[in-house]
Amino acid sequence: MPLKKVIETKKVCRVFKNGEIEVHAVTDVDLLIEEGEFVAIMGASGSGKSTFLNILGCLDKPTSGDYYLDGVHVNNLNKNELADIRNQKIGFIFQSYNLLSRTTAIENVELPLVYDRTGRFSDSKELAKKALEQVGLGDRLYHKTNQLSGGELQRVAIARALVNDPALILSDEATGNLDSKASIDVADLFVELNDKGKTIVMITHEPEIAQFAKRMIYLRDGRVLTDEIIKNRSTKESALRDLELTA
Amino acid sequence: MRQLFKTFKVAFQAIYKNRTRSLLTMLGIIIGVGAVIMTISAGEGATKQVQDQISGLGTNLLMIYTKTEHRAGAHVRMGKPINKKDFEMLQKNSVWISKLSPLVVSVAQAIGPNGYKSIAIYGVSDQYFDILSRDLLTGEYFKEEDVKTARKVCVIGKTIKDELFLDLDPIGRQIRIDKIPFTVVGFLKEEGKGAMGQDQDDIILAPYTTIQNRLSGYRRGYDIIMASANSEDHITDAKIEATELLRETHRILEGEENDFEITTQIELQEITGNITGILTILLGAIASISLLVGGIGIMNIMLVSVTERTREIGTRLAIGARESDILTQFLIEAVTLSLAGGIFGVLLGVIGNHVIYKITNFYIPTALYSILIGFGFAAFVGIAFGYFPARKAAKLNPIDALRYE
Repeated sequence: MPLKKVIETKKVCRVFKNGEIEVHAVTDVDLLIEEGEFVAIMGASGSGKSTFLNILGCLDKPTSGDYYLDGVHVNNLNKNELADIRNQKIGFIFQSYNLLSRTTAIENVELPLVYDRTGRFSDSKELAKKALEQVGLGDRLYHKTNQLSGGELQRVAIARALVNDPALILSDEATGNLDSKASIDVADLFVELNDKGKTIVMITHEPEIAQFAKRMIYLRDGRVLTDEIIKNRSTKESALRDLELTA
Repeated sequence: MRQLFKTFKVAFQAIYKNRTRSLLTMLGIIIGVGAVIMTISAGEGATKQVQDQISGLGTNLLMIYTKTEHRAGAHVRMGKPINKKDFEMLQKNSVWISKLSPLVVSVAQAIGPNGYKSIAIYGVSDQYFDILSRDLLTGEYFKEEDVKTARKVCVIGKTIKDELFLDLDPIGRQIRIDKIPFTVVGFLKEEGKGAMGQDQDDIILAPYTTIQNRLSGYRRGYDIIMASANSEDHITDAKIEATELLRETHRILEGEENDFEITTQIELQEITGNITGILTILLGAIASISLLVGGIGIMNIMLVSVTERTREIGTRLAIGARESDILTQFLIEAVTLSLAGGIFGVLLGVIGNHVIYKITNFYIPTALYSILIGFGFAAFVGIAFGYFPARKAAKLNPIDALRYE
């Protein structure tokens, strides 16, 4: 049985118009990502990786080209349908966490379920609790965001991305604000989630983090420069060892 | 429906989590509403008090006096002074007037056992007390007999008693008015401030005959004739009748103008009505300004709070909230804060009025329409300025909202 196509882009372009000047952020990207993949997207700043991720995350629409997410042709959707797609099919993780302040971990994780209109989840509290346990924060359910460390905050954000059982998890520099040790923990968590079958696409500019993924796409000037399978993937142990060696 | 319920929960959570901000927002509304209620009510209260005092004088009162005109900045008497002849004429022939009293005012120095004071002394007849319905606390009024024989007796008010007698019982004691001793026979019940703010207890009343003979030298004219009509319904009849009688005695030909004036209590009420109307407009203007200031306060904090929360809005949009979810949430928040603030503001206004009453003894009934205006305006401003910035934020591209600093 062929694997399900989670992401399929055909000649996706994104052009920003700034007065007279046109900026081609993403140009003619063809990409196919199947269920269970773990993809790292790398590239220098300005290479268009964030713009591309925003398109994948249905936060932005391509100027031209087609994007199919989990079989849905995203181009034709209106604002509300896009919101629902984000809610049902995508878990987004941000560099700056974007959690609600003065709010407990469990309430933050429940948030996507508040906007669920399918009614497919019965007990949002229980689901949020499960998601937090999955990221190793089972003992921090009722801690408020100001009582948690950076690594823990990002785990809360990951739990929030997991709670709606999305087809795709997108991470935009999830480790960007974390120290090396916490970064490795988060990357290891991604591996663990991927092993359980989650499809993950993450942007990073740290090669040692990208090395945890199965596949690496390198963007330059909005085009795919390389797209290859990672041969010797890092594990938590190997990464920690490398960390000690460089220290 | 389920979604709406969830949004309500989110909105109330947001209010609770940001207690300080919520309280500040409400504070702006509370003060705005309270200020409006208190200013409008104070205006209403003052108006009502003035009107009450005027009607307290008895609405069947007529005042007859010589016509005066402004000439070169001074009041100039235009006709014959009102005098004994006029008085007796009215007394004898009037059908609609039941009681009459001349009024002669003389300014003199009054010396009591424990103090002295320069004061206007009113010379009146025994019927004056009935006409103005002034009650006695102790002693008795002077009588017709006292007036006829021009006895040196007087009736005094509380302020005079306090200043000239201190704690002494004034009845039977003497006040020297321009060196002439007057025996105090009556002590009036306290009346308080009059319609124009004058102290109605700062008063010495003596027979007009005594005043005319002893104090102002021999004087035939009266300053005013006070009269009261049989009943309130016949006050206009009384006025017409008195006018005719006086025209006759003054030998005014047909077509000529009166050389006297008659003012009724009702007319006086109308005049003060105009004055208090102006007062109300003035206070209304002040209230509008406080409303405006309160409104701008509410607007500011609403704008700041929504702007501050743009990132939060971005996050909610990114994880799948619809534009309408965000809007509904912020609308619920704005409505809740505005209504709660409005209610507390009404309480503040009502309690404030009561506190003013306790401190100054100036009773302010809280005007219902001031509550409606204050509450309505605050609710409108709060909701409008909670809603529109939120609408703007909800319409943002989620990416831009997320990047908002």
